[in-house]
Amino acid sequence: MTVTQTEAPAARRAGAAEGELEKSTGRRNRRTYLALLIPGVLGLVVSFVFPLAYMVRMSFNKGAPDGVIEETFTLDTYIQPLTDPYYWRVTLDTFQMGVTVGLLCVLVSYPVALFLARSTSKYRGLLIAVAIAPLLTSAVVRTYGWMVILGTNGLVNSTLNEMGLIDTPLKLTNNMTGVTIGLVEIFMPYAILAMISGFGRLSPQLEEAAGSLGASKLQVFTRVTLPLSLPGILTAFLLVFVLSISTFITPRLLGGGSVQVLATEIYDQTTGLLNWPFAAALSVILLVLFGLIIAVYQRLTKKIGG
Amino acid sequence: MTESKLSIVDLTKRYAAGLDPAVDRLNMEVEEGHLVALLGPSGCGKTTTLRMVAGLMDPTAGSIVVDGKEITHTPVNKRGMGMVFQSYALFPHMNVEQNVAFGLQMRQTSKSEQKRRVAGALDMVQLGHLSKRQVKELSGGQQQRIALARALVVEPTLLLLDEPLSNLDAKLRETMRTEIRSIQQRTRATTLFVTHDQDEALDMADRIAVMNGGLIEQFGSPTDVYERPRTRFVANFIGQANFLNARVLSETGSAAKGETHYRVSIDGLGQFGAVGAPGLTGSTHELVIRPHRLRVSLQPAGTETIAGVIERVNYTGDALSVAVKAGDRVLQAQMPTSSGDLPRAGDAAYLSWNEQDAYLLPTPVKEPAA
Repeated sequence: MTVTQTEAPAARRAGAAEGELEKSTGRRNRRTYLALLIPGVLGLVVSFVFPLAYMVRMSFNKGAPDGVIEETFTLDTYIQPLTDPYYWRVTLDTFQMGVTVGLLCVLVSYPVALFLARSTSKYRGLLIAVAIAPLLTSAVVRTYGWMVILGTNGLVNSTLNEMGLIDTPLKLTNNMTGVTIGLVEIFMPYAILAMISGFGRLSPQLEEAAGSLGASKLQVFTRVTLPLSLPGILTAFLLVFVLSISTFITPRLLGGGSVQVLATEIYDQTTGLLNWPFAAALSVILLVLFGLIIAVYQRLTKKIGG
Repeated sequence: MTESKLSIVDLTKRYAAGLDPAVDRLNMEVEEGHLVALLGPSGCGKTTTLRMVAGLMDPTAGSIVVDGKEITHTPVNKRGMGMVFQSYALFPHMNVEQNVAFGLQMRQTSKSEQKRRVAGALDMVQLGHLSKRQVKELSGGQQQRIALARALVVEPTLLLLDEPLSNLDAKLRETMRTEIRSIQQRTRATTLFVTHDQDEALDMADRIAVMNGGLIEQFGSPTDVYERPRTRFVANFIGQANFLNARVLSETGSAAKGETHYRVSIDGLGQFGAVGAPGLTGSTHELVIRPHRLRVSLQPAGTETIAGVIERVNYTGDALSVAVKAGDRVLQAQMPTSSGDLPRAGDAAYLSWNEQDAYLLPTPVKEPAA
């Protein structure tokens, strides 16, 4: 074994042997790490990198409405959405929906997450499980649930009507309002989880210290609690934003065809019009949008020291 | 009599109905400029008491009076106290300067005044050169000093320290002990200091409140609680002690500080001299003798000695601890070391003491029913 070699006679040689031993174990460790990486990397290459490359390549092809794909290299697929105001509208709507859902979701999840993060109750684990339990039902089911609640004769409208607050039912489905409400609720568990994990620097002692130094409850919140929970808030916002602009089911079902976002547009192009190159180009645009947001997020987290 | 800076009257905290109170009708008067240590084992109520004084916890009953004003239910941010937490609780999103300035900002002190006082406070803890550092770049000792500066910069009515030294390593702890004490004396800040370390309390405090089970067992100067413990708990918690049940036979004269000399009888060992509060004659009391106050002699010397056999010897360089078995009792004693022959286990030993070093606890021992 190598160990006995290093303990070998000549002290002069021992140093060199030790160095070699270190190097060889280092090399061996690195080899082990690389070997352990292989399954994951392979999986990603097959399921993510390759399809992504294929999609990018596809976006430069020429598509015809009847599903014929002409292998070529053209920028037409990009020129069309970038010059057509309709696609600008769709892209902007998508972005706006992501921001709105992200903000609202953070707003309603923050108190819940703060409560769960600070709870010392023995039921804390159970409460967290309850908060994320909605993930157990699929988004499709929950979207249908919201259609029932928000519909013209749904729970909200019939209640408001009974109370005499409205005469004509509010239009809460088949528009952006319904989609936003549905998405906010559907993504709340993600936001709560992201926030709880981002609240690491928050501690009751810091709030007590601020109080003892003369800060009122509001000042404790604005000067200590909120700044220290910013990393969690940002992560949650980013997560919900990304999930929102890429989601298809809820905008399609709750939007009832009148809400057009990039995801629904891509779906229509892919399965309806069979224009794969165009759908691929839209997907690349969506990816660029993701990239931009993530770049901004990283700037921000560096700034606030998350 | 001068007015106390802080009066605690019948302060009680019960966390839940049916539970024993964490703090039980506690009374304490703290003089202006004093450093008072709340000393006791964990769970004795010392931290609870401090948190109630700070306003971080609502008392169940009783009152807290500072400068003649009742503040029992004043919210924490209106109390004007400075607190140093065990974890220091420095704000991680602010630099050193911003941390120290926080209390002044809350008091809406002018910018120039803030600047001047923050610089002064940082100089006081000798960290003026670190004002722009981030908190996470500081060592434990530095964080501790910043926490102290942050608490003192607002010129608090009371300085409250919650085990401030427990997170430091032993060497640094000694240094910070001296430093906190000297800063406290310079600023004359009346201070409450929570600790479970008796050395810390003896070294730093003007007064020590020894707490146990939510009660103050004794409140007095360091020499008081060490030399004249009121209870067995105090004698045992502060330093080491030998306890011997002694029947008080007669008074033999008056001693200093209103105490009385007694003649006592210890079962199976003979009659000895001791000292205690007046009026103990006729009952049985525990006699407290510190190990280093026991003289160990290897030859019979005098009449009032306890003869025994050395059971165990511990050599620590500076001192030699010996356990001497006398009858069915084992007494701990200390003797100076020398480079010559040292006693060994099995040697005969004769223990004696000065009368004023054998102290009778004031509360009689309950006699077993005959």
